Amino acid sequence: MSPWRAAARRFGRNRAAVVGAALVGALVLASLLGPLVTPDPLAQPDPVRLQDRPPSAAHLFGTDPYSRDVLSRTLSGARVSLVVGVGAALLAVTLGAGVGLVAGLAGRRTDQLLMRGVDVALALPRIILLLAVFAVWERVPPVAVLGVIAATGWFQTSRIVRAAVLSLREADFVVAARALGAGGAGLVRRHLLPHVAAPVIVSASLDVGNIILLEAGLSYLGLGVRPPTPTWGNMIMDGKDVLFSAPWVALAPGCALVLTVVAFNLAGDGLRDAFDPKVA
Amino acid sequence: MLGFAARRLAFAVASVAAVVVITFLLVHAAPGEPMLGTADRTFASPDVIARQRALFGLDRPLPVQFIRYAGNLVRGELGTSFVLHRPVSSILAEALPHTLLLGGTALVASLLLGLAVGALQAARHRSRTDTLLGAATLVFYSVPVFWLGLMLLLVFGEQLHWLPVSGMRSAALEDGSALARALDVARHLVLPAASLALVQAAAFARFQRSALVESLAGEHIRAARAKGLPERTVLLKHALRGALAPTITLAGLSVPYFLAGSVLVESIFGWPGLGRVAYDAIFARDYNVITAVALVSGVLVAASNLLADVAVALADPRVRLER
Amino acid sequence: MLFAAAAVLAGCARRPATPGAPVVIATTGDADVLLPPVTSVTTGINVSDLLFCRLAELKLGLNTVDDSGFRPVLARSWDHPDSLTIVFHLDPRARWQDGVPVRAADVAYTFAVYRDPAVNAPLAPFLAAIDSVVARDSLTVAFRFRRWYPEQLYDATYHMRILPRHLLDTIPPARLGAAPFGRAPVGDGPYRFVRWTAGSEIVLAADTTWFLGRPGIARLVWRVTPELATAVSTLLAGEADAMEVIPARGQLERVQHDTTVRLVPYPSPFYAAIVFNLRRPPFGDRDVRRAIAMAVDRPTVVQSVFGPFAQVAAGATGPMQWIWSDAIRQLPFDTAAAARALEARGWRRGGSGAWRSARGAPLAFTLLVPTSSGVRQQAAVLLQDELKRFGVDMRIQPLEFTVMERRTQTGDFDAAFISRTIDPSPASLLQWWSPGASDNIGRYADTTFASLTSAALRARTRAEAAPLWREALGRLNEEAPAIFLFSPRNNAAVSTRLENVTIRPDSWLATVTTWRVRETGSGARGRHTGQP
Repeated sequence: MSPWRAAARRFGRNRAAVVGAALVGALVLASLLGPLVTPDPLAQPDPVRLQDRPPSAAHLFGTDPYSRDVLSRTLSGARVSLVVGVGAALLAVTLGAGVGLVAGLAGRRTDQLLMRGVDVALALPRIILLLAVFAVWERVPPVAVLGVIAATGWFQTSRIVRAAVLSLREADFVVAARALGAGGAGLVRRHLLPHVAAPVIVSASLDVGNIILLEAGLSYLGLGVRPPTPTWGNMIMDGKDVLFSAPWVALAPGCALVLTVVAFNLAGDGLRDAFDPKVA
Repeated sequence: MLGFAARRLAFAVASVAAVVVITFLLVHAAPGEPMLGTADRTFASPDVIARQRALFGLDRPLPVQFIRYAGNLVRGELGTSFVLHRPVSSILAEALPHTLLLGGTALVASLLLGLAVGALQAARHRSRTDTLLGAATLVFYSVPVFWLGLMLLLVFGEQLHWLPVSGMRSAALEDGSALARALDVARHLVLPAASLALVQAAAFARFQRSALVESLAGEHIRAARAKGLPERTVLLKHALRGALAPTITLAGLSVPYFLAGSVLVESIFGWPGLGRVAYDAIFARDYNVITAVALVSGVLVAASNLLADVAVALADPRVRLER
Repeated sequence: MLFAAAAVLAGCARRPATPGAPVVIATTGDADVLLPPVTSVTTGINVSDLLFCRLAELKLGLNTVDDSGFRPVLARSWDHPDSLTIVFHLDPRARWQDGVPVRAADVAYTFAVYRDPAVNAPLAPFLAAIDSVVARDSLTVAFRFRRWYPEQLYDATYHMRILPRHLLDTIPPARLGAAPFGRAPVGDGPYRFVRWTAGSEIVLAADTTWFLGRPGIARLVWRVTPELATAVSTLLAGEADAMEVIPARGQLERVQHDTTVRLVPYPSPFYAAIVFNLRRPPFGDRDVRRAIAMAVDRPTVVQSVFGPFAQVAAGATGPMQWIWSDAIRQLPFDTAAAARALEARGWRRGGSGAWRSARGAPLAFTLLVPTSSGVRQQAAVLLQDELKRFGVDMRIQPLEFTVMERRTQTGDFDAAFISRTIDPSPASLLQWWSPGASDNIGRYADTTFASLTSAALRARTRAEAAPLWREALGRLNEEAPAIFLFSPRNNAAVSTRLENVTIRPDSWLATVTTWRVRETGSGARGRHTGQP
């Protein structure tokens, strides 16, 4: 049985992991379909009378200080979180894998240069730098948030990939394949990538949760994606001013955040355990 | 050993320098404008603002500004705050101890709690306790720290009135005894420190659990058990020691999270620390303060990484031989 | 006889406040620096206002024109020897808190500091009409003006707070802001500085021997709580006794339901208006602007957004200024008249009801609204709706405050929803509506308005000036360079244990020396927690 199949089976048998994956799926569906059935998250049909209303039949999660429906904004905010979270994680591992591959396969000097850079970069306080970047950037489209977060998050992956590549370089089957005349790209694709893929996938999936929390923190500070576009972070920012009189405004996006990150962490844990069943 | 430490020190310096350069470039090259006319009282006319820019040297080209800034840095001068009109170094000197108090308390609390929970989980591996604790740590690990702070404030501060909602001290206690004042600060410390600590404790617990379980499955553990040693000794003496080195590293790596967390949490609880200063400076586009805070954070992070690396190297000689 | 005198004196003397209990003011922002020419943040200004005195203060009526509108503070009396001079006679009892008497040289020094470009005081432009300030002897100082105008006394006294020359003149002006004095000031006011814990609190103690009488409250503490909701919580919990303004409606309701805190309404120093950029078509056309202004039902919008907490703006002014009046001519809410005005200029209603110019361009524009103001955003939505029903397409663009500032300064906007801070003098009108003024962002230029305001500025008494100002404001309303929408009512919150609370709209603590703490324990401090 291929290692992939084995891993998939182990994943399937892990109840928590399955729950996580199912939850992720449900969230993605909700974020896609939700805005179709709920009112416009930017709409303010009655700016005054509908301000800070508690949950009711018409507004299941109540309304916010700008008289907007909290449920529809929560569902809409899921889009930003999911896109930035998954997108940045994917982009980061791609970048990291690329650099790691180059470092692992290239000559010693390139390797040393790259890895020193990565070491310094790893020592940088990522969050502080992100704060500084977004503090001065006026209106940031979600794609830019994604890009900057990814650009600051690929370092660890490059190390992992480089280590994997290095360990494989001298492995028998690679030497044999080379001797048979197998070219660089084919080598990479057929032999290296599968070996490297597993830790990369696990690292990426565990990263998504952290990135979602990072983006939420940035938009809570009023950085990154700005209002009126709803993100869970800036919804909590709106909600903190009415925390004691209208707690649902901050409660809904917060619970959504926790749920989403838990889901991704469960799935990520499951993937890690599936690929590396040392610890169960 | 010395060579190892020297190498790590060199890295630390390099990373601090990188932080300074990057932050300076980002902050100055971006389109925003330092809020020289505040939203509070907007009676600053454009001429006044223009003169302010000139006084602070903001109208000079970027490389000139950087050279001035770097020169000042070397001399230990961090510039003047545009908003507060005072040297940035004195602003930081006042705020830093408060953040160290909050962050330090949170770090220690999270380590103790996280290690304890993780060890308990490993000891009761696969039991109901393990599962329940695992669920709890998963949830707390997934919570945004600022939201946790707001919820704690809502429940324990506002609804239950058990703990103070803001500040570092109560106003009326200025003439109390030293003990009373210390206790007062401690009461104000609980909620913000808890917000920071609970999330990190969950991270530590998760890590500790898996590290310990792995360690407990190792050879020397089975040997110890075969010798008939009590379970607790096995756990404490052998397994924990193995998990020590990675835990130290993890603790060192958590410093950036505590620093960033303090930016979020200190404003919620009105704690007068570095995080608050950073938060206000970000909104007011107070360039010198933002750069200085990034610098100080960079130094703290580099220092804690360095300490962690050295501590681990002392504990585990194998590490020194790497690379 | 002696007994009677003692009884009379005892009645006249101020009753001391409850010893030891400080009055705590909740604020969301810390002070920047406590030095009058430099300080620009609300808390900094509030605190330094109690540490440093003016030569004379406005009375509660805020009459900036007549001498009778002022009461003596550092200056015991003053006279006008000629049309360009005011001579102040300082009160010999006034002294700095280190014991040194306040002298005319302090006044001259202060003027030099405020005007020094190296200090770059934001208030410097307001002193432009003063040519020189000369100390004639230790207690007499002469202000010389460049020209005659009735508000000379206002300009001489309102903008400057006198600084101690003997403590500051050795500091180079460029370094005044950063000097340690600004963190531990020595003043001559009713309160003296005790302590400032950065980011936490500022403590002032009453000067019990202050020459104008002992303040009613012994100790004032400003407690910094960055989160608004939490600041209100401290107020409701009894940890704070007063707050300058409760901004948001949700917070107002919390305070209204509480019995230990009461709201004290006062006119705010703001009015909000939608300013048109006259350089952008079609706003160069006066009739188009008037039509849009007449198509809007201002009272309904204001009532919907604020309820009772704001008034419809009578013009480019607020109730705080004495030029405010119900008699100012305003454009009516009249969609029919608005339609006629547009039709007269060649606009036609299309099939969908939308207005189109003779060349087919729709009547559409973008309104910039700052994200920092929830009420302006709400009002904008309501206005958008009204205008849509009339056939005008107004798009709303929310922007961050600094970005909006830049756009309006550079003229890159169609219309902007701005809020103006006014001071007691009607001359502030010129700052924003005079032809050529740098803050005249819409570039409104009207000679009639200019001549009306110059006539008003020359009137010798308030009674003469008032109708001229009303004419000018009416003219502004008719020319419609902006739609003047609302002036909010501020609500201060004060604990019920404070008595005799009056609030001067331009400076809410101006009369704090007359406030008292109720001596009988009113239980306001009893029901909170968080205090051992």
